[in-house]
Amino acid sequence: MRKLGLMLLALVLSCTMLFAGGAGETATTASADGTTTVKVGLICIGDENDQGYTYNFIRGRDEATQILAEEGINVEWMTIFNIGEDASCIDANIEAAEEGCQIIINNSYGFEPFMLEVVDDYPEIEFISCTNCASWNDGRDNTHNAFANIYEGRYIAGVVAGMKLQQMIDEGQITPEEAVIGYVGAYSFAEVISGFTSYFLGARSVCPSVTMKVMFVGSWSDATAESDAALALIDEGCVMISQHSDNTTPATAAQSRGVFHTGYNNDMTGIAPNASLIGTRIDWGIYFSQAIRAYVNGEEIPQDWCAGMGEGAVVMTPLNEAIAAPGTAEKVAEVEAALADGSLEVFDTSTFTVAGETLTHAYALDTDGDFTADSEEAVYDGAFHESEFQSAPYFTVQIDGIEWLNSAY
Amino acid sequence: MREERTPFIRLAKRGSMDPRKIWLIRVSSIVIALILGFIPILLTGNNPIAAYGVIIDGSLSRPVYIRQTVKIAVPLLGCALAIAPCFKMRFWNIGGEGQITMGAVAATFFALNFAGTVPHVLLLIIMFLAAAIAGGIWAFIPAFFKAKWNTNETLFTLMMNYIAIGIVAWLQGGPWEGRKGSQLIPMFDDAARLPNVLGVHCGWILVLVLVVLMYFYMNKTKQGYEIAVIGDSANTARYAGMNVGWIIMRTMFISGAICGIVGFMTVSGANYTLYSGVANGVGFTSITVAWLSQLNSFAMIFISMMLAVLEKGANTLQTRMSVPASISDIITGILLFAMLSCEFFINYRMILRGKTKKEVEK
Repeated sequence: MRKLGLMLLALVLSCTMLFAGGAGETATTASADGTTTVKVGLICIGDENDQGYTYNFIRGRDEATQILAEEGINVEWMTIFNIGEDASCIDANIEAAEEGCQIIINNSYGFEPFMLEVVDDYPEIEFISCTNCASWNDGRDNTHNAFANIYEGRYIAGVVAGMKLQQMIDEGQITPEEAVIGYVGAYSFAEVISGFTSYFLGARSVCPSVTMKVMFVGSWSDATAESDAALALIDEGCVMISQHSDNTTPATAAQSRGVFHTGYNNDMTGIAPNASLIGTRIDWGIYFSQAIRAYVNGEEIPQDWCAGMGEGAVVMTPLNEAIAAPGTAEKVAEVEAALADGSLEVFDTSTFTVAGETLTHAYALDTDGDFTADSEEAVYDGAFHESEFQSAPYFTVQIDGIEWLNSAY
Repeated sequence: MREERTPFIRLAKRGSMDPRKIWLIRVSSIVIALILGFIPILLTGNNPIAAYGVIIDGSLSRPVYIRQTVKIAVPLLGCALAIAPCFKMRFWNIGGEGQITMGAVAATFFALNFAGTVPHVLLLIIMFLAAAIAGGIWAFIPAFFKAKWNTNETLFTLMMNYIAIGIVAWLQGGPWEGRKGSQLIPMFDDAARLPNVLGVHCGWILVLVLVVLMYFYMNKTKQGYEIAVIGDSANTARYAGMNVGWIIMRTMFISGAICGIVGFMTVSGANYTLYSGVANGVGFTSITVAWLSQLNSFAMIFISMMLAVLEKGANTLQTRMSVPASISDIITGILLFAMLSCEFFINYRMILRGKTKKEVEK
């Protein structure tokens, strides 16, 4: 009887299937007016409400749609939100593939191993894993990676923070020793280490006495933990907060305690107008539009795409002129130009030491899959060359002047 | 004066009821739940009929979708089978989550360390046994305390879940971590993966075998009878000379072992790696499966498939109609609530105050 009941239920429901939307097209369709339509899946770790990481991808998505529409390419997006870095990512990729997406973009680092479980079943679909690094070594044609030189943007954010700290020292608000930056990091992971090191080097280039404390929260996105970490850092005497995590809570924490802040992924001056000086973000619209355009034109999507400030892939959010130190805008323009023409290297080995020594050697790539870099010397010509051998950052050195409060994550 | 004190609604246990009437109540509760489910869908601005269509379409319309749906149903069914004997015994094992997780940990240990040296089938058998033992031990601990010192098994098994999840979180960031700082355990080698049969990992065959085995165990064996007697009255069981403590420990070990096997199937057949969310709420959802099936193994197949259809369909609902996944969680919740509460109305009847006199006269 129960069986019968369920069958009845199934019957009733299947009658309603007629009203359901069908699956999408499976091939690029060129319509009569000369426009082409392409269906692209975007799998996201959060949703746009984070006002940070995923929001930044949604901005990139919308920007790419606009750029491509002007060229006669219509992009039909299928965006899947709130997917974990777990097997639900396998299901999301299958779902997007079955629903007719021709390109599927995975937006979080931890998605890649799960995405790779699906790619061989759909050889005609192009899979993109942002911020990860398996593609150059996985022997497949339909997988791709992409990242941008966000360390350049972080260096400039560091310069802005350093100028503010130097102003506070010069005005006698703090002593030179009290110029301490607190950094909220997600994990003790190459991308994060590379980010806070470049930020610190930017700050120290204009404020020589600065030091930094880093606290890891063990999550890319945990609004409460990020806020708690920021408050703990402020309690330890930090007067400037920055972050590599997805939410805006470090900015609001800084504002509530009357210290300053620089952001990531989004302009946070709106929610913390008295604290947030500037932010930096990756402009994913540049990459998305290039990749989709290449696909539509029948060209290869770059296997491992990476671009920097010169190409517009990394941008600074508007400077909060009301609270920034005088002359900051000019200094930022000067550093941007120096980065663009190559006269300034972010990881110049003469600007930092490791356990008191100058860094002379570090490998970039892991070729044998044991998760330790073992080939391609990254240190040459007096600098560590980040994101050159692969787009995903590989700077994992702990430099002097930065104190890791917890490295368990 | 006395009549005024009578509560407005009273409940009385029903005697027997016409089976056809029982099924009418059950079917109508599902219909009512589905109609109530219109409300959240309407709130998102979509057509509810179309939304239900998408749920069915997204879970059953293509071979790939059916496979995905079965993949969701397998652990639900396995875990429901595991906890059924405990519930029959009125031992509230809500630690399925932790037992699955510990089984997965044990299987993963062998998958990570012996994939290169041990042949495929042998490795899978070792992982299977290790997972069963680990899950069994995890369930045995609260059973031991219950049998010796009559501790509260509900709290105990619940707390054991968090310990298991904590252990995996530590392994993820510590000894088993892949790329430094990534918090990800590497994907399993092919030698540690369950083969697919008809496109789904062969765990589905295993759970169907378990359905039959569990049916016989519960209905045709002495141990199954002992469990039923303890469930009805532990004192009767004692009077009849049964060693209640021993039976509790034995039953919990079996229950935990099956949960552990579910954990093994999940890491080896579906996820190919271990992470702290490996149990994914199955340990709790399967309680509903077991209850709705009234602990009948065969009914569990249909209930777990129904929940899997809702879950898989919800994903398609999100991608096609931009309905947030949480909306379908609400619909599932309404459905489960209606189905569980209809059992209440089958067992009890409500007597309104006005009716009291008539009832008494009768």
